[in-house]
Amino acid sequence: MSSRFSLKDLEKLNSRYSIFTSLTSEKEVDAEFVFSAKDNLASKDFETRAGSKILEGYAPGFDATPIKKMRKAGGFLAGKTNMDEFGFGTFSTNSAYGIPKNPFDLNRSCGGSSGGAACIAAIIEDHVALGVSTGGSIVCPASFCGVFGISPTYGRVSRYGLVDYGNSLDKVGILSAKAANLTKYLPIIAGKDPKDPTSCVQPEMRKNLRKIKSVAIPKEAIEGISKGVMESFRSALDVLKSMSIDVEYVNMPSLKYAIPAYYVIATSEASTNLARYCGMRYGQQDGDLALKFDDYFSSIRSKYFGDEAKRRILLGTFTRMVGYADRYYNKALQVREIIIVEYKNIFKTHDAIVTPTMPFVSPRFDEISKMSALQSYKADFLTVPPNISGTPHLSVPCGYSDGMPVGMQFIADHWNEDLLLSAATEWEKAFDIRHPEVKL
Amino acid sequence: MRIGLEVHVQLPTKSKMFCSCPTTGADAPNTHICPTCLGMPGSRPSLNKKALELGLTIAKMLKCTIPETTWFSRKTYFYPDLCKHFQITQYDTPIGEKGIYYLGKKPIRITRVHLEEDPGKTKRIGDGSSLIDYNRSGIPLVEIVTEPDLSSPAEARQFLSELLTEIRYTIDLPEDGERSVRCDCNISVGTERCEVKNVTGLKNVERCLTFEAIRQTKVLKAGKTIERETRHFDEERKVTMPARKKEFEADYGYIGEPDLGIFHIASIAENIKLRESPLNMAVRFQKDYELDEKTAKQIITTSMKMAELFEKIVKISDTQTAKTWITGTISAYWKEFEPTAEEKTKDLISIISEFYVKKITDTECNIKLKALMTGKDPAEITETSSDLDKLINSFLDENQSILADYRKNDKAANRIIGSVMKQTGGKYSSADIVAATKRLIDIRL
Repeated sequence: MSSRFSLKDLEKLNSRYSIFTSLTSEKEVDAEFVFSAKDNLASKDFETRAGSKILEGYAPGFDATPIKKMRKAGGFLAGKTNMDEFGFGTFSTNSAYGIPKNPFDLNRSCGGSSGGAACIAAIIEDHVALGVSTGGSIVCPASFCGVFGISPTYGRVSRYGLVDYGNSLDKVGILSAKAANLTKYLPIIAGKDPKDPTSCVQPEMRKNLRKIKSVAIPKEAIEGISKGVMESFRSALDVLKSMSIDVEYVNMPSLKYAIPAYYVIATSEASTNLARYCGMRYGQQDGDLALKFDDYFSSIRSKYFGDEAKRRILLGTFTRMVGYADRYYNKALQVREIIIVEYKNIFKTHDAIVTPTMPFVSPRFDEISKMSALQSYKADFLTVPPNISGTPHLSVPCGYSDGMPVGMQFIADHWNEDLLLSAATEWEKAFDIRHPEVKL
Repeated sequence: MRIGLEVHVQLPTKSKMFCSCPTTGADAPNTHICPTCLGMPGSRPSLNKKALELGLTIAKMLKCTIPETTWFSRKTYFYPDLCKHFQITQYDTPIGEKGIYYLGKKPIRITRVHLEEDPGKTKRIGDGSSLIDYNRSGIPLVEIVTEPDLSSPAEARQFLSELLTEIRYTIDLPEDGERSVRCDCNISVGTERCEVKNVTGLKNVERCLTFEAIRQTKVLKAGKTIERETRHFDEERKVTMPARKKEFEADYGYIGEPDLGIFHIASIAENIKLRESPLNMAVRFQKDYELDEKTAKQIITTSMKMAELFEKIVKISDTQTAKTWITGTISAYWKEFEPTAEEKTKDLISIISEFYVKKITDTECNIKLKALMTGKDPAEITETSSDLDKLINSFLDENQSILADYRKNDKAANRIIGSVMKQTGGKYSSADIVAATKRLIDIRL
């Protein structure tokens, strides 16, 4: 099977939607399939800038392992997709390279931080987009753009070649309009890679996908959800029941601590990861060399990091300082353990957990600009728990409110991606998915 | 006076700690580098298990408590030779804690032993700018931290020297000059301590500590107080200087290194078999071969290969024969011999064996050994050495009392050596004179 692919279409789409930070210069391509990769995955043939000005000009001499595996499987890498700088955001509005626009409504966000990936997945039906999630950056944009998105178990897919945000949280996954693409390509990018020791402890993925028979809904997860989303979610639960899946409400008291714990761990790690960007060796290097090294570093960092990156560096540096680490960083690690224990308890009696993916449909850009940092952090309260615990999770389109897609999130126990893949396949059969109208 | 040391030793692995770049033999700066040891975005570390094993061997040698599990941490600070601006090191779970090391009979407590990566090397050039060589970036280091149990600069040096001898032997650390020891030296004369960072080599450690001891004493005598601070040692001027405050007052903000995971080290450590340590060997030599402490230590600190050779010679002859030749001729030409020891040891032993069964005289044996060890022409050696032997023998005949003195203190030999040197001008090398004197005295004893 091959798909003819025209660059002209992509260029046009890109100028309208700001999907890519780099796009192929090939005119036409013959390949088994076409895929894209989020701009924080290193690639030989495109710059890798992770949505940041500071990495302008960075051309790694190597492919990230997931990209390498996709190419080996016959894939053609069409380009690098737009994202919040280093993954810092929920709406992809923190990119230095334009803001991706939602294909259902140009005035609305694609979600983040894998906004470009969700956008192209929604527009081109058979496209496979590699995304990356740290706190929900795959399922959030999948939900806002009405596509499937899977973030596997932490350690399932090698992170070699990923520009780090939070190393204990980052996961490479897939977004696509077709459930079959998740089932087909997740096993291709998964697997042990000696270049990422955290990938080497995984059991093999199950080839025979088991079906979900029972799901749990934490009561804490359906508080503070918008009316439109809640309506879609409730009717989605009816569909699940019609698929003879047991639905039961449970308690998960630790859920409300996930957001503060996540932002402490993620920013602590991020602030160390971002320490290397200083205008030496790669990226922007146009500072005044007469300065002392630390002043030179500060000048480059002040000039080229975006506001959200600076905010997270400050937060993360603070939370790991002597005298504060026990109150913040170390306590957050304990909270993470408690959340994992509560998940494990639920998975003793249920195959999966379902919740809405996001508490609201994609907001308009004018609404986003009025949000405080804290308000936008809080929007992640449903996607952060499975991310902080490293459990695999999936978003499927489950309804429409004001013409915008609503997402439902499935969470399974560690290494049980097969349950999620079968859920996506079954859901696709049971639910009438709408596609955005895109005119070239 | 209280002195504590933080000793950094590069571990002799073939590849770096977290990537496959070689650790030695670079022809030019920045040739043994890759995305990982340059900290390029997207790269990540993967632990070289050999580094972990070598570190554990040292922790075990120092009788440390080894925890069930260990992990690595990020120590964040900004410096151009530290690519990622965090060093992968160990913070809350060092591979070893609460060890002990006996300097003679004196216990020196070991606080901790941990692993970390070396940063690159900064070279300042004249115009206020610097060049950085990242070949060193990512080479595995073991850091050994002692309690402040050392009580003089000389003792600190002695400790380092013996510790390094043991480490060299225990983990096969070559003395190739590429891997020098670096120390952070903590010293207090009164109640407050100063830390002198990054002092290279044994000599400099003693010098910097001596300078600091005098400086601190002077400050206290003048009625002032010592300020707790970090200092640098200026090797050229042999003085310590306060470091830029900004450089070391950093809060390193340690967090765990998530990329490497957790290592179960107790079982690895259990399977490590330690070789007999050089100092234990010295003790055994004293007991088994009735060597005095000084000779035993001298053999072992010269080279463990010499110690092994000593035992081989004992096997084919007797203790006295082995001692005579090892401390005499063999010691004198050891430097030239050591690099070729592997191929020549068999021949060396057969020469001594011939001597032992009286097939050759001691003079002939001496000439043959020297020829073998130095690769020189035996004829040439014959001529010079027989002349030299005559001279020394006549001196000994005239000064019989030297032999009695020598029994009490082997420094008595210096009188002969000095006199012969004077008589002959520059004709014989001092190594030749020393070897011949010791051999001829030993024969008469």
